[in-house]
Amino acid sequence: MAFNILLVDDSATVRAVISKALTLAGVDINELHQAGHGQEALDVLDDQWIDLIFCDISMPVMDGEEFVKVMNEKGMIETIPVVIVSSAGSEPRVARLRQLGVRDYVQKPFTPERIREVVDQVMGVIQDAE
Amino acid sequence: MQNSVQEQLCSTFSEVAEQLTFMFGEVVPKDEANTPDKLFTKARMTFTGDLAGTLSLAVPSDTTAEIAANILGLEPEDIETESMMNDALAEMLNVVCGHVIMSMVGKDANFKLATPVTDFVSEEQYAHMMASEEYVTLLLDENPVFLGLKLES
Repeated sequence: MAFNILLVDDSATVRAVISKALTLAGVDINELHQAGHGQEALDVLDDQWIDLIFCDISMPVMDGEEFVKVMNEKGMIETIPVVIVSSAGSEPRVARLRQLGVRDYVQKPFTPERIREVVDQVMGVIQDAE
Repeated sequence: MQNSVQEQLCSTFSEVAEQLTFMFGEVVPKDEANTPDKLFTKARMTFTGDLAGTLSLAVPSDTTAEIAANILGLEPEDIETESMMNDALAEMLNVVCGHVIMSMVGKDANFKLATPVTDFVSEEQYAHMMASEEYVTLLLDENPVFLGLKLES
């Protein structure tokens, strides 16, 4: 099954690294969308069908926590899984985000294997038999 | 900078640098890292919360392509723009900063990271990095780097 994935991070480097990690991890991608902050991500969600979101915390304009709160208020977080990818994920913050509906947290730096693990868990994909 | 803070800072930086860029860090005395003829690029960011201050990382400008390439899994010649190099350096600092704060305060730390800014290092700034106790020097795969931490009391 191929996914429409949205990457939300103000760093083009991070978006490229996650994109590469998804490819190396063998995740089947139909469309890959990108946003530089939470507001841009909301604009993408208005126009595009998204199956999964990877989102940073520290971003200008609208940070990850605010973005997740808005998704929660709109009822979107129940149907579009959000995974936080950050180096600013302290335990209290991650706990707050999980209470808002975030499905998982990936700490930077990460490996393709960790990305695959998260995608499989969050999207309920059964891993291919080797 | 207190010895314990310096040790934690350098140890965390080296660990993150290795995981992120596959480059190995080694603390060296400042005179060993002193290369005033090189042009340096510096990334700097502030943080607030349980721990507040500024973290800076200055690397030789001619290594920023290698750092970006290692992070992105590309060859240095694929890193075509200064923007890509600076963004990668900024992201490296961002990751180091989060890890440094949690190593010093604990995983239950409350903190916010500002967006890093990058720029070339002027002669005056270079002289300040050499003279100031806020900066320590490392070799990152034989490249001299300056790591600066200023904590607000």
